Amino acid sequence: MTRTLRLAGSVLVVTAVIELYRLLPVNSTTVALSLLLAILFLSAQWGLAEAAVASVVGTVGLDYYFLPPVGTLIMEPQSWVALLAFLATAFTASKLSANARRRAAEADSRRVETERLYALVQAMMLTGGASKTLREFVHRVVREFGSTAAAFYYRATDEVVRSGPESAVATEHDLRVAAELDGVRVDYARGLALAPVRLGSRPLGSLAMVAPLPSAQTIQAVADLVALTIEKARALEEAGHAEAARQSEAFRSAMLDALAHDIKTPLTSIIAAVTSLLGSAPAGERELLSIIHESADRLNRMAAEVMAMARVEAGKLHLETQPVAVGDLLHAVLAELAPRLSGRPVSTRIADRLPAALADPELIRQALKQLVENAANYSPPGSAISLSAEAKNAKILVRVADRGPGIQENERILIFDKFFRGRQHRYETTGTGMGLAIAKGIVEAHGERIWVESERGQGAVFSFTLPAAPEVPQP
Amino acid sequence: MSHGRILVVDDDPQIRRVMRATLVSHGYEVIEARDGEAALAEIGREAPNLVLLDMNMPGLSGLETCRALRATSDVPVIILTVRESEKDKVAALDAGADDYVTKPFGIEELLARIRAALRRSAASPDAGPRAFSCPGLEIDFETRRVSAQGRDVRLTPKEFDLLRHLVAHAGRPVTHRELLQAVWGPDYGDEPEYLRVFVNQVRKKIEPNPARPQYVLTEPWVGYRFEPGK
Repeated sequence: MTRTLRLAGSVLVVTAVIELYRLLPVNSTTVALSLLLAILFLSAQWGLAEAAVASVVGTVGLDYYFLPPVGTLIMEPQSWVALLAFLATAFTASKLSANARRRAAEADSRRVETERLYALVQAMMLTGGASKTLREFVHRVVREFGSTAAAFYYRATDEVVRSGPESAVATEHDLRVAAELDGVRVDYARGLALAPVRLGSRPLGSLAMVAPLPSAQTIQAVADLVALTIEKARALEEAGHAEAARQSEAFRSAMLDALAHDIKTPLTSIIAAVTSLLGSAPAGERELLSIIHESADRLNRMAAEVMAMARVEAGKLHLETQPVAVGDLLHAVLAELAPRLSGRPVSTRIADRLPAALADPELIRQALKQLVENAANYSPPGSAISLSAEAKNAKILVRVADRGPGIQENERILIFDKFFRGRQHRYETTGTGMGLAIAKGIVEAHGERIWVESERGQGAVFSFTLPAAPEVPQP
Repeated sequence: MSHGRILVVDDDPQIRRVMRATLVSHGYEVIEARDGEAALAEIGREAPNLVLLDMNMPGLSGLETCRALRATSDVPVIILTVRESEKDKVAALDAGADDYVTKPFGIEELLARIRAALRRSAASPDAGPRAFSCPGLEIDFETRRVSAQGRDVRLTPKEFDLLRHLVAHAGRPVTHRELLQAVWGPDYGDEPEYLRVFVNQVRKKIEPNPARPQYVLTEPWVGYRFEPGK
């Protein structure tokens, strides 16, 4: 209904009231109160202007037809009071009803925006990776909220995702600045809203929407939603990567096991056959059979070292830690290496009441074996090797000392590198050059440290630490 | 005369050839099986005195085969395993194997294990000897007296039970779990550190040099093995 029509209508209503009472025998107070009611109705229904016009017309009619002297328009004090009452009613009632109408309209648009947000949430549940999700998101925002365009700035990759060319209103500079804002900023002149996107206090980026705009609260809600969506997508991606890494590691491990079996199977036949022959061979053949036996043994050790190194290099040695009696471990290693240590004085010094170490026993035994073999390889035959274990600063300190030529200072760091060999030994030794690298990888996988101390001509001392296990009560 | 009939179970034909050649030359009869199913059939048909069982076979694994044959047979089983995981060895013993040998192995080591296993099976350990003696060590199970290097030693009841269980399975590795359950009871099994303390006590009492034991030997990460002195 147009305003003119409504104005005419309000004049009509007031005139109708006045004409009605002209036919009935009523006093002027009844007429005034009836007019007041009509004006109240008009102001609530149509607004202040209509009610004001009705007030003026009503006052004139009241004065002219009902207030003495009847038939004249003198505007006595009574008329002025009536006009004042009419106008006050018109003003107050129209204000109140306008408020009520506005609230209703707001509630309605809030409801619509909530429905759109809900649609957006549902749409975002389904999407996959982070960048795909963001592209999908800006399009969804445009579609659901009827904005002209939307853009999202992703701080992690410094990347802007736009719904289309219309979003150029929001420059990259705007978006970068918006990421640092505290709340939604609406630029009415440019028809642009910018909101920071953050998860907790962590800024993830910013969101821009081009008019028509939803309310600031809704824009904030959209920004919060995009933060959650990014986080969800990122978490999903990470979980996917972790799963892929786990699978590839499992695959590598399975390959290595298969390789171990494949190499060791023919070696088993060779060694079983040659040791069988050695038992009954005439002296002339024993030397040649011994060479086969020793070479097969060496091949076996090399295969084991290659596999150990591959596992260390795969990055994540799978530790199965348990309390380990380091003293037993030292003796077990020496027993295992006894043939290679024959003719050497070997001493062990285990501290009294040495606490158990918390370590993976198989891996630590392998590391220790590498150190003892290294000591045997790089010191003269017949020279002493000594092993010790003691508690130090809540850790177990293990040392392997030899009486070899020692290690030059500039080689002390390099010595733990794969394939590194001291200059003077480059052409002498028989190992793979991986032993110390394996030992280092194993010790570091325990979160501990390995190092070497050496004086020229005084031998070398390799040391590493292990965490001490918590005390266990005896039964 | 045959020293015994040995069933060799391995999927690798070369290993079966080496085993046959070697074992036959040492006076054993040899039967072969290429997988677990065939092994179970041969055990029913040929009644071997000992089984050499490869751990890692396609189809029925060594462990599964071992468990399956234990359901019907007490034949000594020696598992042949690639030195990869000590867990595998414990699993083999827990599956009912008598012993294990890591590949690659020297033939003398294997022959020694075979002799020990056949000896144990002939002696029927379940009957429980009343006394045990070997050079340097005498044990009377009835009076619970132990004498080492000619001197009487006093063992606590737990130490004595531990030694008795190891001696009853002389030459065979006994897992931590088995030993704990035999000495402390069925609720135990995951506390190998208890054993270390008691084994060290026993060694101090019976070994001439406890730092280099000759009777009670450590099988790293698996358990302990009693070796009669020579």
